[in-house]
Amino acid sequence: MPDTADFLRLEKLQVHFPIQGGLFDRVLGRPAGTVRAVDGIDLDVGRGEIVALVGESGSGKTTVGRVITKLAHPTGGRLLFEGHDMTSERGASALRPYRHRVQMIFQDAYQALNPRHTVFDIVAEPLRSLRLVKNDTQLAERVSEALASAGLNPPGDFFARFPHELSGGQRQRVVIAGALAVRPELIVADEPVSMLDVSIRSQILQVLVDLRDKHNMALLFITHDLPLAWLIADRIAVLYLGRLVEIGRADDITFNPRHPYTVALSNATPKVRVGVSHIDLPALEGEVPSAARIPKGCRFHPRCPMAIDRCRQEDPPAVEVGPQHMSACWRAGEVKARSELLGVARSSSVEPLERRLVSSLVKDRCRSSISAEAGVPDLPDPIRGP
Amino acid sequence: MSESTVQSLSRGRTRALKNFLRQFLGHGGAQLGLLCLVLFLVMAAVPNILVGPLQTAINATGDFLASPSSQHLLGTDEVGRDVLNLVVHGARISLTIALLATVISLIVGTTVGMTAGYFGRWVDDWLMRLTDFFFVMPSFVLALVITPVVLEVMGRGGEILGFRPSLFVIIVVIGMTSWAFVARIVRSQTLSLRERTFIDRARVAGSSNLSIMVRHILPNLVPQIAANGALVVAGAIYVETSLSFLGLGDPLQPSWGTLLSLAQSAGAASAGAWWYLGAPGLCVLTVSLSFVLIGNALDDTFNPRRRVIP
Ligand SMILES: Nc1ncnc2c1ncn2[C@@H]1O[C@H](COP(=O)(O)OP(=O)(O)OP(=O)(O)O)[C@@H](O)[C@H]1O
Ligand code: SF4
Ligand SMILES: [Mg+2]
Repeated sequence: MPDTADFLRLEKLQVHFPIQGGLFDRVLGRPAGTVRAVDGIDLDVGRGEIVALVGESGSGKTTVGRVITKLAHPTGGRLLFEGHDMTSERGASALRPYRHRVQMIFQDAYQALNPRHTVFDIVAEPLRSLRLVKNDTQLAERVSEALASAGLNPPGDFFARFPHELSGGQRQRVVIAGALAVRPELIVADEPVSMLDVSIRSQILQVLVDLRDKHNMALLFITHDLPLAWLIADRIAVLYLGRLVEIGRADDITFNPRHPYTVALSNATPKVRVGVSHIDLPALEGEVPSAARIPKGCRFHPRCPMAIDRCRQEDPPAVEVGPQHMSACWRAGEVKARSELLGVARSSSVEPLERRLVSSLVKDRCRSSISAEAGVPDLPDPIRGP
Repeated sequence: MSESTVQSLSRGRTRALKNFLRQFLGHGGAQLGLLCLVLFLVMAAVPNILVGPLQTAINATGDFLASPSSQHLLGTDEVGRDVLNLVVHGARISLTIALLATVISLIVGTTVGMTAGYFGRWVDDWLMRLTDFFFVMPSFVLALVITPVVLEVMGRGGEILGFRPSLFVIIVVIGMTSWAFVARIVRSQTLSLRERTFIDRARVAGSSNLSIMVRHILPNLVPQIAANGALVVAGAIYVETSLSFLGLGDPLQPSWGTLLSLAQSAGAASAGAWWYLGAPGLCVLTVSLSFVLIGNALDDTFNPRRRVIP
């Protein structure tokens, strides 16, 4: 297991946005309230580790990523990188050493590329800004190398192209190449494949996994897709309304969830096999509450099928429910019993097409999960199906 | 390696430029505007070849306020100068004033608008207050304030950067009163550009604020700046005309505006000397209109989506 102690650490991280009130509020001088986008998160990412951050839309995933990449400023808590407090570092020149080591991949590759820059300029930008190359020859070499690692071959063919001359998959590869060019140690990938065609997803995911394998690069993989997180990550952190509700090894979170929200989240993913009954917890009801009005007590209680009186009053702390496995639920112990029979349902919740495409990944995963989880029955062959 | 890189890069740029030119030149309005503009630029470039040296009261050749004839195609003015001669020579002054004022206006307007929009908060508040102040300030008021100062400092006969003080004042006044318009447009465009993800990416790539503004925001503002710059030129030519009525024009180096105000004070309208008023007036109109046409064509070329809306 990678050393998680002193690479990237978030301590009680908090990002609150003030709500811009209407004219009436402003005249009266009263604050219109705050959006608690991130509301006290503790998270470690180890060197060379892939951690997936999973949650519904609006749960604050992007905001966490933006804090780590210094695009958003926390209103509380700390951001530590190798033990150094990066929380209040500002300014492009002061952040240069940090930028060199921490990069980001953006969700919408079309928006992330300046329409008036060529691919070469886009990939060369961090190398130039961070002063990582001495001359143009070196620059061209590094750009070619980055484009090739991102799967754009031969790199020279792409130098002079503009973003609108590329396909969606190629654009995302350019974004990835831009992040790779500086050879960072951590990449925050914000839903890097959610806008892409299924057939291209697996290739992009493969590029990301290769980076870890070859360069021991750490990855914070942001997604709303639990099965996808299971495919790629070592550990999964589940986010609900700005708080981590459960965190643990990918297999534990997927096959042995200990928080009703995680269970509900995996129930919500489409099932391919008919006849496999899923967990006897009813599906999620209602909408995600707004981050401006977070419920008192356990923030999940209005939608939680297991809620008790205590949940409405007291906020549950994260407690250890297994090795490297934390859950913030008063009834975490009871969730276990109910979800044990769910292994089969969980494992087949990955869509077959996608599963076939990421087959090599899946096979690895399945093997390790079978050996790790004695409680899980035989898994269907990922390629031929059940 | 790097040589072929540079080559392929410049090929990409050339291709983009060619595409742009083909679209722009295919635009009917742009063709008409450019044609008129080229005619006037030729006038401004070589007036002596076209109509001989500038006539003054001393070397005037014609009668007073004679109507157009084969000798004086556009008639003469109240001291017998050939109006065609004056109008052709006026082109250089008028275009110089308009273009220089536009350059000032675009530089100031873009800098202020982009800074305000990019940094937001108090920078935006203060810069926009300043902008609003200049936006509502009438150009003749500013001219009245600036003229005595400039004359005091420079003396009536002196030259500033090769311009007579009165011309200099006109250029500065037009530049100062038209940048606010540019600043507002640039600011609102910057506000939306600032939220784009590629700005975040540039920040993660370690680019400084200055480099983000210059390398990311400015190139995306070019369409707006170009299209509105053409409108500013058109406006500048009009304002120059109205400032000349204040007596700021230079009778020794008459612009079209100066000619119009001379015609006005010579009673050309009541004397029925339509050629004296009409010739410079038509020039002002034509040049302004051709810049408007060019500006609209640029706007159309840069925003292909707007082309469907009539
Ligand atoms: N700059 C901001 N100002 C005000 N509120 C914000 C801002 N950025 C995010 N929020 C709010 O914070 C909450 C979390 O947003 P965030 O984008 O982090 O969610 P997310 O998990 O990434 O969602 P998605 O899956 O839709 O991308 C949302 O309620 C959002 O409206
Ligand atoms: S603490 Fe209560 S409401 Fe919250 S998840 Fe657990 S059971 Fe549900
Ligand atoms: Mg997001």
